[in-house]
Amino acid sequence: MGTVIAIISGKGGVGKTTATANLGLGIAQNNKKCIIVDFDIGQRNLDMIIGLENRVVYDMVQVMDEECSVAQAVIKSKVNENLHFLAASQTKDKSVLTSQKVEKLLTELKEKYEFILLDAPAGIESGFEHTIEFADAAIVVVNPEVSSIRDADRAIGILDAKSQKVKNGEEVDKFLIINRIAPEMVRAGEMLRSDDILDILNVKLIGKVAEDKGVIDASNQGKPVILDKKSLAGQAYSRIAKRICGENVPLEDIESMQQGMFKKLAGMFK
Amino acid sequence: MKNRQYSVKIFEAEIEDDGQFIDFLEKHYLLFKDHLIHVTGEMSEGVERYLKEKPFFYLHDVSFPEGRSKKALESEFKMQEDLPSKEAYAKLEEECKNLSVDYAILKQEMQQELNGLNKKLKTKFTVIDTIIRSGRELKIDGDLLLLNRVNSGATIHTTGNLIITQVVEGALRCDGQFMMITVSPKANIVFHGVLVDNELLENKLNRIELKENKIHITPVIKKEINWEQS
Repeated sequence: MGTVIAIISGKGGVGKTTATANLGLGIAQNNKKCIIVDFDIGQRNLDMIIGLENRVVYDMVQVMDEECSVAQAVIKSKVNENLHFLAASQTKDKSVLTSQKVEKLLTELKEKYEFILLDAPAGIESGFEHTIEFADAAIVVVNPEVSSIRDADRAIGILDAKSQKVKNGEEVDKFLIINRIAPEMVRAGEMLRSDDILDILNVKLIGKVAEDKGVIDASNQGKPVILDKKSLAGQAYSRIAKRICGENVPLEDIESMQQGMFKKLAGMFK
Repeated sequence: MKNRQYSVKIFEAEIEDDGQFIDFLEKHYLLFKDHLIHVTGEMSEGVERYLKEKPFFYLHDVSFPEGRSKKALESEFKMQEDLPSKEAYAKLEEECKNLSVDYAILKQEMQQELNGLNKKLKTKFTVIDTIIRSGRELKIDGDLLLLNRVNSGATIHTTGNLIITQVVEGALRCDGQFMMITVSPKANIVFHGVLVDNELLENKLNRIELKENKIHITPVIKKEINWEQS
């Protein structure tokens, strides 16, 4: 049986979809069968970021309505054969989702894949609630800024109240990714420190990702940044993916990480 | 007036045959001589003479009142107090009619007020140990002890006292006698409808209380001294 992981944030634009694409690919690189599912119905983006937009024939809603089978709708990644993708519908809206339909789809996927990553929509409406309803675990993506943290806090609150697992008396495992950290700003005290964020959210940290301009370019090209071995963000996602697969990778302290050798030398001659 | 209560033991003997009765008393004279005897049955002249001559203390065919224990008596007293006499009821009702107030409604209102007071008297105490996340609204009837954070965007109302041991970034509404809050620069605290200035909460643990219509803030645990800096 596979594990369903919902990737949530509350606020939009913090990097949920990027995280989903990169972690999906990272898990696949660890030789685990993984499927990433776009739950953002009406505003799908994951297909573009993973570079499969021209391959989408059937979408998730059509699978749920039994217009096609799961096998027909699932798209294999060009980069890694362990990674599969299920697109959201771009023409419908969130109201088409129902608990029964979601549960049926996820049960089917759980039999075929080890990891099922759900890219949750921004906000906390019905679409979000359906994403978290049957999740075994959740990864919360935040940016080190107050509005993102407050929204994430609210999203965690809803997760703790409405998830099926919680209703059965169990607890949903929650992990935190702090995305887009600017180490210089943190050092200068201009950005929230990770410790403070962890204090507020009270969730286990699974990884920190530094701000990296390469992410935007990678998304535009449809090649997740994890494929770029030199990229800081890519390395961070790679480590997080290993942690998800159960490997014990120590947490990197991005904030105090040494700058590159040349930058350091340049700094000396300033 | 002096008053005393005695519990008395009495022998009861029934006369069936005069000779037998006299024989019996003669035999047990020592036993009966200082006691009261209650004689039932038909008393002939001979027997009466014998009883008087001996002499015996005796009563003939008396009906005694039924005695009750102290507890039974107390409950009887209480019932009498609880149930006003019909006359008293009638009198009250008439008085109420004069005042043009329905007696039944008045009684109901009084009962409601009593219930309300009773509720207030019962101290309700809640302890919460979970983090209060954004969007959550807690309404607590009574006192609350919170051992975790209140995050930005969460609201807590209490009708009683409020103690929070961790940082507060959300909103607090307290109508109790006091609150105890840590240094919380981002909190929105309203105590009895008055906004409390966060800058006044400068100690590690502060007590906010209402005294003579003024809000007092006093330190419970003072600032931690940082020896390295000083």
